[in-house]
Amino acid sequence: MISKFNYVAPNNLRSALKFLSDKKTNSKILAGGTDIIPGFHIESKRFIDTELLIDIKKIPGLNEIKEKKDYVEIGACVTFSQITESDIIKQYFPLLAKAAETVGSVQIRNRATVVGNFVNNAPCADSVPPLLVYNAKIEIQSLTKKRQIDLQKFLIKPYTTALKKNEIVTKIIIPKPDPDLKGDFYKLGRRRAVAISRISLAVLMKKKNDLIDEIRIASGAVTPIGTRLYDLERFAKGKQANSETYKELAIQMGRLVLEITGLRWSSEYKLPVLQQTFYQLLERINSDEN
Amino acid sequence: MKTKNTSMIKLKFILNGKEIELETLPNKRLIDLLRNDLNLTGTKEGCSIGECGACTVIMNGKAVNSCLVLAGEINGSEIITIEGISNDGELHPLQENFLKYGAVQCGFCIPGMILSAYALLKKFPNPDEEQIKEAIAGNLCRCTGYKQIIEAIKNTKIS
Ligand code: FES
Ligand code: FES
Repeated sequence: MISKFNYVAPNNLRSALKFLSDKKTNSKILAGGTDIIPGFHIESKRFIDTELLIDIKKIPGLNEIKEKKDYVEIGACVTFSQITESDIIKQYFPLLAKAAETVGSVQIRNRATVVGNFVNNAPCADSVPPLLVYNAKIEIQSLTKKRQIDLQKFLIKPYTTALKKNEIVTKIIIPKPDPDLKGDFYKLGRRRAVAISRISLAVLMKKKNDLIDEIRIASGAVTPIGTRLYDLERFAKGKQANSETYKELAIQMGRLVLEITGLRWSSEYKLPVLQQTFYQLLERINSDEN
Repeated sequence: MKTKNTSMIKLKFILNGKEIELETLPNKRLIDLLRNDLNLTGTKEGCSIGECGACTVIMNGKAVNSCLVLAGEINGSEIITIEGISNDGELHPLQENFLKYGAVQCGFCIPGMILSAYALLKKFPNPDEEQIKEAIAGNLCRCTGYKQIIEAIKNTKIS
């Protein structure tokens, strides 16, 4: 048996927020539960003091993917299985669909949510690099306020986000990208299924007259949190879209990641793999485009 | 750690075709409820953290790890366990084929394996090998080497 707590499943957001803002009770939101429930089991410090779990899956609307004119909304309870099966996601955000397929196993994907994947801000959250290159925003609600924030700004440092105790992330909002942006997602885990990622990368690129007109690069797992590599993007912009440039970018990428993470025991193994993977990713996107 | 008072929760759900109503503690997981309260010990607990799939059951038509679901979360849902797929003591075609193809050794992973396959066949009645591998990727077997399991699933037709 796992440690004691109370459980409520309110059927509207307001009542969930009321539970959450009760200062006397140490409460936590429960969505997919694939992180929290085993967390209780192993008596993780992150969860052990929880007195109340607020299950938000009974709140109408939170489990929907909605297409609007210029953007798509993903509700807080949308699972990875829903993402992999959604035609809207496959059409506009193929990198996100691909990342979702690599998460856990069928059983995990049937429960785990995309929002839950990043509200804990674990470095290995696979959905983060794709969401970052698509410029995802999230909507956050408390009893008194509703706010939107860029996902990149929301993620502060490992296991720390901009979410306040009385707030719930209700949805992800992703603008439909320029159709000329082509890209790919890559994940390296220790084995194919149920693997925690070691390296993940998402890249979107647009070429114009053989030059890199726009490029968006995000990494996960190799950096302490999922992050856009804006310096590298600026460095790449306007350069010739050819192997020469891609090699140069891969070298720069290695330097940058080393700068961010410092030298670790694993650097010697990870960096060459990272550079090679990134190079291949760029070549692949390049040839897809032609 | 402070001692916390917990209040019982009321649940109503369908288990293997039968409507069930009961009261239980909120900190029970679905696997605890099945094995301890309802005496359905066909569902196995291996890793307890979502990695082995031994505890797989079907919830609203989907394969889930019952060690990753809280009792409260099943309120209003439909659950099928390994006990629920045979018909009056008659084995399910998947179970027949697991025997026929020698897909069972110690048997610990098998209830979960069968239910993952069951969910797959409900969705894709004629899965290819890739789909089968994907469907059971979250079910670890330390005995068989998977080959016979894949064969057994591939050769099962359900209506
Ligand atoms: S016991 Fe649930 S996945 Fe291993
Ligand atoms: S038969 Fe023993 S673990 Fe699968």
